[in-house]
Amino acid sequence: MNLIIRNQVEAELQAFVGEEVYIHSEATSFVFVRNFKVKVTEAFIAGEDSFRVALRFDELGWLRMEALTHYEKDGHARLLLAGYDDKGRMNVALHLGKEPFPE
Amino acid sequence: MNKTNKEPSRKLLAVFAHPDDETFICGGTLAKYASEGVDITLVSATRGEMGRRMGNPVYINRETMPAIREQELRRACDSLGIQQLIFFDIRDKTVEFVDEIQLTNRIADLINEVNPDVILTFHELLGGHPDHCAIGKATTAAAEITGRRESLYFISYGDTMEHPEGFGYTRQDVVKVDVFAHLEAKLAAFRDHRCQTEIDEWVWQNDQEALARFGRYEYFLKGSEAARVQEQEQEQDDLFVATCVAQH
Repeated sequence: MNLIIRNQVEAELQAFVGEEVYIHSEATSFVFVRNFKVKVTEAFIAGEDSFRVALRFDELGWLRMEALTHYEKDGHARLLLAGYDDKGRMNVALHLGKEPFPE
Repeated sequence: MNKTNKEPSRKLLAVFAHPDDETFICGGTLAKYASEGVDITLVSATRGEMGRRMGNPVYINRETMPAIREQELRRACDSLGIQQLIFFDIRDKTVEFVDEIQLTNRIADLINEVNPDVILTFHELLGGHPDHCAIGKATTAAAEITGRRESLYFISYGDTMEHPEGFGYTRQDVVKVDVFAHLEAKLAAFRDHRCQTEIDEWVWQNDQEALARFGRYEYFLKGSEAARVQEQEQEQDDLFVATCVAQH
């Protein structure tokens, strides 16, 4: 995982706009949602050291996450975003893929 | 070790929830019995793939985690001397939501296949994490339907069962295993679970300092009412006593 570079992640996010996307989203200590499928209509990123990402989907939906710090485009063309603390503990994760994630 | 050859092959089945449960909670006991020739089968219901510790500094993401933790557990099994490792492929944090009857039957089938003298699992109320309580409940039910309640013991954290009264139990309900001679193996297994222990500096200090952090004993709660009411002069210090006495 690499530290987020905003314009690079922004470009990666844009590649999912207009697509049917499978999403894994979690606030690690509280909730996770895996493999919900939406049509992404807009994607945003904001922030400096710690980033907010928001997706609009299916005309009426919002998904917004904050505290994202790292990202990786993995070997399966999936965009993996995560937020870690200074000891490597995960706070949040947001993954986008065009195929379902393993159950 | 001559003793080992004279005894029939003893077997232990441990049914836990996550990679590292076996090491962090009762690694000394597993290493001890493995060193005495006990054949150990470990079930990890999940791959711990929803864990929060992603290495320090971080090198893991949610999608790479299952394979990494599986590999770590395989190494820890080698360090402790566990011969068989079985994953149930349940997603971490969801054990309490899988079909309970199917899970129980799956464990019961395994008990019948392995034919263990001792079964270890979590106490269904004292397990802490919901996955622990769920796998403990299913394993307890499986021990019941296979008629193995006498073989069942619940693992416990640290030295909390040095004072079982606070949990509604007595000293007669507890087996206190001396693992002093097997702490090196336990420490090696702690280090095998690298992504989970990297955050704990003491694990990575020199061996003597790290070993000093471990307690000398690991404690188990008897899973059988019958085993508990047995009059005992001495505190039990061996998990195999009850079943071996029963066999002879």
